Amino acid sequence: MANTVIGSSIVIDGEISGDEDLVVQGTVKGKISLKESLFVEGSGIVEADIETQNVEVAGRVTGNINASEKVELKSDCRVVGDIRAPRILIADGASFKGNVDMDAKGR
Amino acid sequence: MATTKEMTVGAGGTTVIGPTITVNGKLSGEEDLTVRGRLEGEVTLSKTLILESSGIVKANVSVKNAIISGVVVGNVRATESVELTKEGRMVGDIQAPRVILVDGASFRGRIEMGEAAAGRAAGERASRPARGNARASAPPRPPPPPRAEARGNARGTVTPILSKLEKAPPLSPAMAGAGKKRVVVRKRER
Repeated sequence: MANTVIGSSIVIDGEISGDEDLVVQGTVKGKISLKESLFVEGSGIVEADIETQNVEVAGRVTGNINASEKVELKSDCRVVGDIRAPRILIADGASFKGNVDMDAKGR
Repeated sequence: MATTKEMTVGAGGTTVIGPTITVNGKLSGEEDLTVRGRLEGEVTLSKTLILESSGIVKANVSVKNAIISGVVVGNVRATESVELTKEGRMVGDIQAPRVILVDGASFRGRIEMGEAAAGRAAGERASRPARGNARASAPPRPPPPPRAEARGNARGTVTPILSKLEKAPPLSPAMAGAGKKRVVVRKRER
């Protein structure tokens, strides 16, 4: 399903864009914009502004997240930044610092 | 909850840039990278870059091995080998001890195999895609028979070596056995 994987030893400094799911196990700095879902796995580190449909975070994210559908913060994730999405889920154990905006009209 | 995630982890181990993905910037890492999409900027890997036929790389690439079936614009430097497959298209310079250009590959640029005995021949190999094969199939056997035949087949493209052969003894019937090798050599002369 997910065609694109950034493996755990990979570091990308720049911009990633595309129309498919992206799985991050490594490090991405810069900007991510996708029309589908972003999965930041336990080993994944993202220091970037994110613009996608869905975001699922189990790793670390520093940056603002802007999702057109849903953002899910899993337990053990660490997120610093503002989240803007109509649906936001924060699991028990997740660590988050930032603003949350679920106002669909503001989008 | 974690099921979809585990599945995607299973696909991991190597990194894949999917066909609709564009990465713009610097990419570095210590694992294989498969590119089906677009990659611009700079790539540094300690393993293999596999560029599939849908992939486009506009970058300076520094890797251990590169297998190119897509499009590369930029310089590729490999510590082991660079292979341009029959679907590969490349504009730029290659620097690697082993460079393989397969029939059908398209390449424009310089090749430097600057290592060991490759030094002398590197320059002339650069412009001839068929060379990779020719080199492999022309073993370090005693040269006289193939060269003599080459002279017969490649009149007009006389090289210094061949002109020396004018003084060499005439063809002996025994040499006829090496026909196939000679064909290869003749190709090299074109």
